[in-house]
Amino acid sequence: MYQVMEANLLCFILFTLVGLVLTSFNDYLHNGTSHYHYCVLGAGPAGLQMGFFLSKAKRDYVILERNSGPGSFFNKYPRHRKLISINKIHTGRHNAEFNLRHDWNSLLSDKPDLLFKRASGEFYPPADAFPLYLSAFERELGLKVKYGVDVGRIRSVRSATGRSYVLTDQHAADYSCSILLVATGLWVPQEVEFAGSHLAEGYESISTNPDDYKDQAVLILGKGNSAFETAQSILGRASRVHMLSSSTVRLAWQTHYVGDLRAVNNEVLDTYQLKSLDGLAEARLEDIVITKQEERGRKRSGIKNPETRDKLFLNLRQFKQNGDEGKGSDDPRDELLDHIDNFSLRKPYDRVIRCLGFRFNFSIFDSSARPPPSENAKGRLPGVTAWYEGKNTPGLFLLGTASHSRDYRSSAGGFVHGFRYTARAVHRVLEYRHHGNTWPSTRLMTTQLMSWILKRVGEASGPYQMFETLGDVILLRGSHCEYVEEFLLQALPRFSSLSGHDVSSQGLIVLVMQYGKRKIDYLGLGRSQTDWTKAWKSNFLHPVLYYYDLLPTEQDMKTRPHGWPLPRPKAIHHMVEDFLTEWDTPLSHIQPLRRFLEHCVHSDLRAFSTENCFRSALTHRKPPLFCQQGYLTR
Amino acid sequence: NIIPVSHLSSLVSPTISLFLMELEKSAEALQDYGVLVGKVTGALFMMSAPFVVNVSIKVQQMKFAILRDEVKYVHTDADLLTLEKAAKGKKDIVLGHVRSLGTQEHRSLMETAYVYGSKYQFILITGGPVLKQLGVNESSQLSRVWFVHCRVHGTVTTPVTSERCPLTRMRTALSTLSLHTFLQLMEAPLVFPYQLTPQVFLFSHPATEHLDLDTASALAWRLRGLALLLLVHRQSPAVKTPDKYNAAYRLPEKVEFLFNLILDDEVAAEVYRNRGHFLDLDLVTQLTSDNFHSEVAQSSLTVVLFYLKWDAVSMAFLGSFIEVAEKLEGKQMRPATGAVCPGTAVPFQPITEFPSVLLIQPQQAAQRYTGTLTGEALHRFIVIMENDLSVFTEAAKLLTGEVLTGLLRDGLPELTVENLPSFLSLGKALLLLFVGEEEDEIGQRQNQALVDQMRGVRTERYLPCWIHLGRTPAGLSVLGSYLGSLPPLPALVLTHLPSGDEIYQYPPNTPILAGSVLQWLQSVEDGTESPAGMLGGDSWPPAFEFYDFLKVMDMQEGDHRPPEEEGVKTEEVNVEEHLVTKTMPYDRLDMNSKFHSEL
Repeated sequence: MYQVMEANLLCFILFTLVGLVLTSFNDYLHNGTSHYHYCVLGAGPAGLQMGFFLSKAKRDYVILERNSGPGSFFNKYPRHRKLISINKIHTGRHNAEFNLRHDWNSLLSDKPDLLFKRASGEFYPPADAFPLYLSAFERELGLKVKYGVDVGRIRSVRSATGRSYVLTDQHAADYSCSILLVATGLWVPQEVEFAGSHLAEGYESISTNPDDYKDQAVLILGKGNSAFETAQSILGRASRVHMLSSSTVRLAWQTHYVGDLRAVNNEVLDTYQLKSLDGLAEARLEDIVITKQEERGRKRSGIKNPETRDKLFLNLRQFKQNGDEGKGSDDPRDELLDHIDNFSLRKPYDRVIRCLGFRFNFSIFDSSARPPPSENAKGRLPGVTAWYEGKNTPGLFLLGTASHSRDYRSSAGGFVHGFRYTARAVHRVLEYRHHGNTWPSTRLMTTQLMSWILKRVGEASGPYQMFETLGDVILLRGSHCEYVEEFLLQALPRFSSLSGHDVSSQGLIVLVMQYGKRKIDYLGLGRSQTDWTKAWKSNFLHPVLYYYDLLPTEQDMKTRPHGWPLPRPKAIHHMVEDFLTEWDTPLSHIQPLRRFLEHCVHSDLRAFSTENCFRSALTHRKPPLFCQQGYLTR
Repeated sequence: NIIPVSHLSSLVSPTISLFLMELEKSAEALQDYGVLVGKVTGALFMMSAPFVVNVSIKVQQMKFAILRDEVKYVHTDADLLTLEKAAKGKKDIVLGHVRSLGTQEHRSLMETAYVYGSKYQFILITGGPVLKQLGVNESSQLSRVWFVHCRVHGTVTTPVTSERCPLTRMRTALSTLSLHTFLQLMEAPLVFPYQLTPQVFLFSHPATEHLDLDTASALAWRLRGLALLLLVHRQSPAVKTPDKYNAAYRLPEKVEFLFNLILDDEVAAEVYRNRGHFLDLDLVTQLTSDNFHSEVAQSSLTVVLFYLKWDAVSMAFLGSFIEVAEKLEGKQMRPATGAVCPGTAVPFQPITEFPSVLLIQPQQAAQRYTGTLTGEALHRFIVIMENDLSVFTEAAKLLTGEVLTGLLRDGLPELTVENLPSFLSLGKALLLLFVGEEEDEIGQRQNQALVDQMRGVRTERYLPCWIHLGRTPAGLSVLGSYLGSLPPLPALVLTHLPSGDEIYQYPPNTPILAGSVLQWLQSVEDGTESPAGMLGGDSWPPAFEFYDFLKVMDMQEGDHRPPEEEGVKTEEVNVEEHLVTKTMPYDRLDMNSKFHSEL
């Protein structure tokens, strides 16, 4: 194994050296600076997704990738090689848009068959399938990717024509771009500083061979999916697996947040609750202390048995003695055990493994081009505006997992099935800002609006995945309306300047998918509503419509009710949650929706038979809207 | 204005206060029946108590039909009597008087007629004599509704003896909501439990059971439209009312939104009613992105219906479409329904209107069918197309333009449901002749003579046209609405004047001759004629109140915020009680949790 790796390493070094010479030669021939309107940094899912939109719009762009292929993160992670993004191929439906609701790995394109299911048919696919899929995506769409370009420094340059970004690679070649789209993902392991933290191994480098954990006591720091994935893989070999972090476990099926613990990884919960030697505990990791102690017997004899490892002891900072070993006691935790002799984690461990996720790599950004750390997510993410432009870095946008600070721990913006839509939204922002193309919209007769809303509610994937973050905006214009899909809800106050669409005095409706915010027994009786008049108490994902006569202001947005995605509207309509997610029943879904829309457009929107249209057309100056649009002017 | 009933619990409902007033007024009358009135509060009565009559009516099972029989108009009491006789044993009558046409009240009544038209005979009173007969002061400006019980009620032993059907006056102000409520009450058996309505309880003793039932029935007639009457066995353990009372009433504590179970859209209601009938989709090809091109290439003409299954108009038309497909089976034409994904290369613009019918020929741009959405119209059109495919690209013109000019050349077009849109689009005033259905050859000749006379009325300003009430029965209510009552036929009216909403009627009983019609038109222009009616306006506000969730949420949750998050529960056997001494850093933007998460 080691030998193979070394051989690979040699090959790699050789290849890199040759490449270095060739590239340097190229750079020498050119003047060393390439100019692009758009630079995309990183050929992972987000970078390639943006590449598709730029390519389709025929923009001047390049995707820069330091590795030799796309999605290299997935060559290593997840360490135990099973993706937990679901790949549901058999939905029983042929509607491509609907099917994306249950396909969490595919990227958006105009090729109907360029879907992840080509790479794997598994519901939880092997991680290796992902780079394969990305390669096919890049190849078949002819995206312009430069591999082997390792950008080490990014700075912002002001010129007469405005601000641009200059990226410098490992060969000192420069790439100058008006717009920089950073899609570098998160890959720097997140660490916590505590006394003895150097004694912990990291998720990024642990052995994934379960046999290496035989009869060992293992303490895992963290309770996220990587921690549980690790625990699950060693469950059958380790003598006991303990998991420690400050928070209690959050189950994705309870929080509706796919970043929380997925049921596919939760076997340790079983062995803990059934009292089979594994367990979970809570403590602030900053407050723990880990010390290494050789076993007493070996210490005395002076012969170190290479088969056994040193034992790791968990202590707490507040009980840590000054000078540690000064008291001559073998266990440095006397004080702790004096206080709490039944301290849960009192037995020593063979290994401590840190599984705390990843952080954004801020280091390549010069101060002139560095977005600030986010206020949430422990500053692990770059802080961005509601339209994903770095705060203080105009023209620099964040895509993909790194853009998750806007919906951190609430929606799916940190995951492929969510950020494929936010990338599209960013592209639309750019198309309007730099090329004058207003956001795509559909002009509808007002009598057709309800059917269109029902169509979106029944099939649209963007607002379904990016619930409470992306929503459809309907601009009311009297007898017709403009339907704008998947706008960034948090940017609603800037709707007109970002999309290029005006809001008329008739107002607007925003269609959002929402979960209920009550904490309930998620498997208990009475967990769901069926009475449409209680739709606002729906606990599961359901459509909500907000009607505003004026565009909400930034202030309205800031002071919106707690837990609401949007400010208090003039009128609101909840469509009652539906077990089948088919919101199209006449009495419970359609009629209440119609009455709400009638209220918003101040008009009767019912359909009438041709006879009744004939009657009202002859007896009135104007018949009802339906007869005007569906009878008189067909 | 309609108040959403669900909010009434916090208000004093007009229905309830009215009921109280009426009940107090009736107290004396009730004593005639030996009834003392007491008030019941709380859950005194279990609704499962052994009622003498325990018929439960499921409102949602009521069938509502589109108005097929016309709303009739009566001027004299004799007219009414005739209709009553006709309805006896068959249908109940909803008798209305609106203070003027085109008002909200008039609309409410007509709307209700659309919903209940096949169930009840709707009659509008147009003259004073009937009102007088009904004991209404003619000068009263109020609109009124009566329910005329002409259908025999089997369980009732009481007064349907006379020649006339008994009446129940609706006591609330006329609105769509109140009318629905009223009709539901009328529909209910005289004595039955119904939780949402004020209830009057009479206590029955086994010894006097039959007598009590008679008393209850008589009283029920008097309270009809106001409250429901329930007869309860005095021995029932659920009865807690003191013995000195032999009657009690209870007001609805929680009034539910009444329209929960009623579809108010006639097309949606029709589709809903027919939901059990599965359409035979085998007759049409289903187009998808995958098979679109190959299917279209297979025939010289493909007629594609684009529909949405949740759109009632689509589903109503799908039935007609399949009928057309049946008629055309074996022909060159190929009927299909389409659901083509965006991104598929198709020879037409994205469809944003449903239902839409496209006519597609290989290698040509698709043509949209713009005719009326009826099976007959589509069939006729397709047949024309089939006979002469060369005119394909001229299809739209053929549909509207040529047909129109052809009819206009004729001089006096007959207005039908299908062609009215074309004629109205000319923007001219209509000189509209209504002729009745011919019963014999003489009638036919008379009608022909009339039409010939009208052909002689040459005018640029007006569009002379006619409606045959036999072929276009919808014209009958048009005429009734114009004039407030049904005039003798034929009738000639001038309407849709660009100058105003006035409707003029050519003097009835005056022979319709070209010359005198022209003279009359002149006097209308001179302003010497007075209008016989007015067109309704162009404003169609929502017919029903929406369910105001925001209000409900405010009422139930005050600041409509979800409850504060519970503190994180500490793990019982573990260390943290002793460990977590510091407050966790609170992350403001982190709505759902305060803690670290892994990506």
